[in-house]
Amino acid sequence: MSWRLATLRRVLTAVPGILFTLAALVIPLAAGTSSAATAALVPLVVTGWVWWLIGRQVRATGYAERAEDLLVRRGVLMRRIVVVPYGRMQYVDVHAGPLDRAFGLARVQLHTASAATDASIPGLAPVEAARLRDRLSSRGQARLAGL
Amino acid sequence: MTDPYPPDPVPPDPAQGAAPSGAPQGTGPAPDPAGEAGPAGAREAAGAPLPVVGEADGGWHRVHPLTPAIRLWQAIVLLVVFVGQDWGQGALRGDSHVSTREFGRFGLGALAGGGALLLLAVAAVTAAAALSWRFTRFRVTEDALELHHGVLSRRQRRARLDRIQAVDVVQPLVARLVGLARLTVEVAGGSDSRVELSYLTQDQAQRLRNHLLARAAGLRYDSPQAPQAPERDVFDVPLARLGASLALSGVTLSLLVLGIGLVALSVLAGTPAPIVGGLPAGVGVGGLLWQRFSSGFGFHVATSPDGLRLRHGLLEHRTQTVPPGRVQAIRLYQPLLWRAVDWWRVEVNVAGYGQADDRRTTEHLLLPVGTRAEAVAVLSFVLPDLGVDGPLQARQLIDAGLSGSGGEGGFITDPPPARWVDPLAWRRNGVRVTRRALVIRRGRVFRLLDVVPHARTQSCGVQQGPLQRALGLASFQLHSTSGPVTPVVPHLAAHDAAVLLTEQAERAHRARMEAGPERWMENPAEGPGASPG
Repeated sequence: MSWRLATLRRVLTAVPGILFTLAALVIPLAAGTSSAATAALVPLVVTGWVWWLIGRQVRATGYAERAEDLLVRRGVLMRRIVVVPYGRMQYVDVHAGPLDRAFGLARVQLHTASAATDASIPGLAPVEAARLRDRLSSRGQARLAGL
Repeated sequence: MTDPYPPDPVPPDPAQGAAPSGAPQGTGPAPDPAGEAGPAGAREAAGAPLPVVGEADGGWHRVHPLTPAIRLWQAIVLLVVFVGQDWGQGALRGDSHVSTREFGRFGLGALAGGGALLLLAVAAVTAAAALSWRFTRFRVTEDALELHHGVLSRRQRRARLDRIQAVDVVQPLVARLVGLARLTVEVAGGSDSRVELSYLTQDQAQRLRNHLLARAAGLRYDSPQAPQAPERDVFDVPLARLGASLALSGVTLSLLVLGIGLVALSVLAGTPAPIVGGLPAGVGVGGLLWQRFSSGFGFHVATSPDGLRLRHGLLEHRTQTVPPGRVQAIRLYQPLLWRAVDWWRVEVNVAGYGQADDRRTTEHLLLPVGTRAEAVAVLSFVLPDLGVDGPLQARQLIDAGLSGSGGEGGFITDPPPARWVDPLAWRRNGVRVTRRALVIRRGRVFRLLDVVPHARTQSCGVQQGPLQRALGLASFQLHSTSGPVTPVVPHLAAHDAAVLLTEQAERAHRARMEAGPERWMENPAEGPGASPG
C-alpha cells in the first residue's frame, strides 16, 4: 500500500479532531469556567489514538496474487481475509475520488456474483491499480466458468 | 400438450379459464413423433424458423391484448388500497367528522370535479397502458430471448438461453381469472436482470417455458412444440400444517404479545388509545402472516428433468422451475416452536432471485413447512450427491447437521474457549467438508443447516474481532449469491478457520473444473438425479 493513504486518512481525522479540541478548549475559557477546559483532552487523545491506528491499519492492508486466487487482507481490530478465485470475478472497479487523486491514490474493488464479497484494495498508486486491474481481468477471463 | 415424454401426470392448472383467443390455443397439433426429444434428435440450422407454433418461431410477437386492461385494473386496485388506507387512518384519528362537514359545504361541485379528475386519470393510465402494449414485443431466437419495450425510452433486452437460472409462470389474481399469465425468466445479472413477459395466455406461457427450458438444457426436438418435461409429484403441503406452522411462528407470537399488552394497557388506562395506536403495527404483522399463508397455500412440489417444479399461491399463483445446478446454496431452518413437531423450512439462493424485495419471501422458498423427511427429500433433489460414501452416511450427516452437536457426523465444531462468546450454541456451530459440498450447521434456539456445493463457492473469508483474537477464535464466511442463505461458521478455532479458508479456495477451484455442463441435458450420463416418472 502507498503510505500516502495513511497521510490522506490522517489529514481527514486530524482536521476535525483539532477543531474539536480547540472548541473544547476555547468555549470553557471564554465562559470563564477554565477547569472544564481539561475536557479538551478527550478529543485530543482520541485523535491521537486514531492517528496511530491509521498507521497500523494501512500497514495491515495488503493483497497477494496467487496462482488461482487473490487474497485480500484488512483491518487491525477486526481482521479480515478474503479469498477471491479469479474464475469467480465478474468485474473489477477502479475508483479514485477527488481527494484520492490529489494524493495520487486509487482503489481497486473486485466483484463476484455475491454481494457479500467484500474485496477492495484501497490506497494503490494509479499506475499500480491499472496494472492490477488489467492483470486480474485477463486472469479472470482465462478461468471464467459459469455461475 | 404434445408430449414425447410419457403423459404429464399433473394437469397444467385448474384455473385455465375462458382464455380469450390471442394466439393459437389449446392442445396443439396431434402429430407427435414420440421419443424424439433426446439429444440425438438433432435439428439444426440457425436460419430456419423454429417449428414451435405461436411464440418461439423466431418472429416478433406481441403480448396479449388484454394486458393494458389488467395493468389498469391493478393500478385501480392500488389506488383504492391507498385511498382506503388513508381514509381509514383519518377515520381512526377522528378526522372523518371534519371531512363530512367540509363535504357538505362544497357539495356537488366538489364531487363532480373529483369525478372528472378521476375519469381523466383513468383515461390517461389507459392510454399509457395501451401505448406501452403497442411498443412491447418479444421473440425467441436460436439462443436468446429478446424483449423490446418502453414508449419514451426504448429498451431492448436480450437474455442468453444458456444463462437462464429459473423460469416462473406467475398468475396474479385478475390475470388468473381471464386465463393469462406472466412469464418471468431469471438470468444471473447484477440488479433487475429478469425478463418479464406479461401477459401471455396460460397455454402460451407454458409452451414458451417448455421451449426455453428445453433450449437451456441443450435439448433439441423435432415435434412442433417443445416437449413438456415429465413431472413426478413428490408431495403437497397440507393446509392444516401450513396454518399450524404459521400459528407457531415467532410472528404470531409477537402479534399475540403485542395485542395482549395493548389491551391490558388500555384497560389499565381506561382509554382505547393504546389499541388504536397499535393497530397499524398489528395490521402490518397480520399482512405479513397473510402473505406467508397465501404464498404457501396449496404448495406442491414435483421433480422433473428440468429441475424442481413448485406450484403455490392462493391469490397469485406461481409455478416455479429451478433447473438442476442453478441452486447456489440451500438452507434448512427450524424456529424454536417447530421443534416439538420437527418441521423445517427450506430456502435457497438462486442467482437472479431476490432482487425485487417485495417478492423475496415467495421466490426463495422451496418448502414453507415440511417434516424432516420432506425437507431432506427436497435437499436431495437439489443436491443429489452430497459427496459422502453411500446413502447411510448421507443420512447420518444430515441428521447430525439438523439436530446434532459436538463431533458426531464428522463436524468440526467450535473449541471450548468459544463458550465465552457463544455459550448456548458453541458445541453446535460446526462445519463438515464433503467431496461435493460444505455443510454448515448453526444455532441452538433456532436450528439451521446450510449446504453450499464447492462448485458454487463465489469467494470466502475469515474474520477475527478483538475478543475472538484473545480467545484464539475466528469466524469463517462463505460468500454466495444474494438470497436468504448466508453461510457463516462463527467462532471456529483460528487454525481451523485458516485451514478451511485455504483449502476451500483450492476445493472450489477443483470442483469448478469438474463441474457438469451448463446445459444439463447434453450429457445425460451426468444428468440430474431426478429420473423421469
